[in-house]
Amino acid sequence: MIVFNEVTKTYPTGTIALNNATFTVEDNDFIFLVGPSGAGKTTILKMILRQIVPTTGSISINNQEISQKKFDENEKLKLRQSIGVVFQDFKLLFDKNVVENIAIALKVTGAPKERIKTEVDEALELVGLSSKKFMFPIQLSAGELQRVAIARAIVGDRNIILADEPTGNLDPKTTWEIMKIFKKLEGNKTILIATHNVDIVNSFKKRVITVTDGKIIKDKREGKYEL
Amino acid sequence: MNDFITSVKRTPYQSLGSFLILFFTLFLALFFFTLISFFHGMLSYVETRPQVIVYFDVKAKESDIVALKDQLEKTGKTSSVVYVSQNEALKIYKDMNKDNPLLLEMVSANILPASLEVFATKPVYLTELADFLRNQPAVDEVNYQKSIVDRLVSLTNVLRSVSVALLIILFTITVTVLITTTAFKISVKREEIEVLQLIGASKKYIRRPFIKEGVLFGIISGTVAFVFFYAIFFYFQPFLKTYLAGIPKLSIANLEQFNIYVFPPSLEFIALSYALIVFSGALIGFVGNYFATSKYIK
Repeated sequence: MIVFNEVTKTYPTGTIALNNATFTVEDNDFIFLVGPSGAGKTTILKMILRQIVPTTGSISINNQEISQKKFDENEKLKLRQSIGVVFQDFKLLFDKNVVENIAIALKVTGAPKERIKTEVDEALELVGLSSKKFMFPIQLSAGELQRVAIARAIVGDRNIILADEPTGNLDPKTTWEIMKIFKKLEGNKTILIATHNVDIVNSFKKRVITVTDGKIIKDKREGKYEL
Repeated sequence: MNDFITSVKRTPYQSLGSFLILFFTLFLALFFFTLISFFHGMLSYVETRPQVIVYFDVKAKESDIVALKDQLEKTGKTSSVVYVSQNEALKIYKDMNKDNPLLLEMVSANILPASLEVFATKPVYLTELADFLRNQPAVDEVNYQKSIVDRLVSLTNVLRSVSVALLIILFTITVTVLITTTAFKISVKREEIEVLQLIGASKKYIRRPFIKEGVLFGIISGTVAFVFFYAIFFYFQPFLKTYLAGIPKLSIANLEQFNIYVFPPSLEFIALSYALIVFSGALIGFVGNYFATSKYIK
């Protein structure tokens, strides 16, 4: 469970990225974060990853407070090893092949080789890339790159998936293919997707949190893309 | 190894820079190590020669000479004192000139002086021992190799100081260059590092490939420097052998028991040099990249 309690983030420049945000994400929830560019969606995701810390307020994940100024380095590693991230620009390692790109998410946790092999194969099966496991990113299409990124995000004990505009660089057909993969994960992982894609949000009929100017203006179950 | 090759391909000029600076430093380190070892070997050799030879008046009594020998041994400043009687001197003379009968004629034991061959425990005692012997009544002449030993001692000391200073400077330059090139490599991989951090990689995990690369560079540069150095050394060895004709095998300190000879270099000495230079290379590579990753990977 992720709990944001009156979280505000103000940058040294004076910009308020998030203003008194309070919301709770239950385990295995599927949530869309919507709002215009610069509204604070990415700030929320970065705070969950503890890339940035709130100026005021608190954030806890599974009852562990992660927003305090001093946070143990090992705890931060454990936190990040429990979260999978998917980016608009994929952020894959271009000198590693598909298998290696996915395996790295397990390697950093110190997982044994056997487990790595099994889990990578399962993830490849899920995202439909088993036939391209030894290809390098440069040989793959944008949709395939995003599938690799999703596979990397779901291996190991990563129960929270954060996706920041995961379909932003994809054509409509590929977008739907990618969203189908997220759909498959529903119920097994907590999923937060920051997106601008109205069609997807409206067709999925999931919980929608709308952020504008750093404020959460709507939080609806079976919500729609409404600004 | 694949990561290493990829990194070299990604940043060829920085890699070449790292290699060259390491190669240069290690080549010089090997040169100085060999040179200092050689001087130590020379010093050990000279120290095994009689350092002070005292010739007595032909009329000196054997009992006086033996008494003086005892006195020298009791000072604690001599490692050994060998008495060469007039008869033994004649025997040596005959051995030396056995091919020249003319020189053997008319020579008898009573015209040759008896002598004491004195070995000091430390070269610094030589002057003191020589002065003491000069003041003895039965002594006719005192010969000692102070100048040679002193020169070798001071040359070895100077060489050691110069090479230590030079190697410290080179080490600092090398580490600085390695930090700079590694910082560049880190900046090239910044996005990759960011991804690794976001998926929960520890600093140790992220640093490991950089440090491995540094150590590998050190080992490769050390090996190339070693091959290069010994290729030159063996090319010039015939000339050195001619120049040093008459000098037997040179060893450092008491390493003869391990068959470690500086000149002509034994296999054991070459292996020791290789181990030292490769270890030094790996150490420099480790230190340089450790500092770079500590500074630039937050």
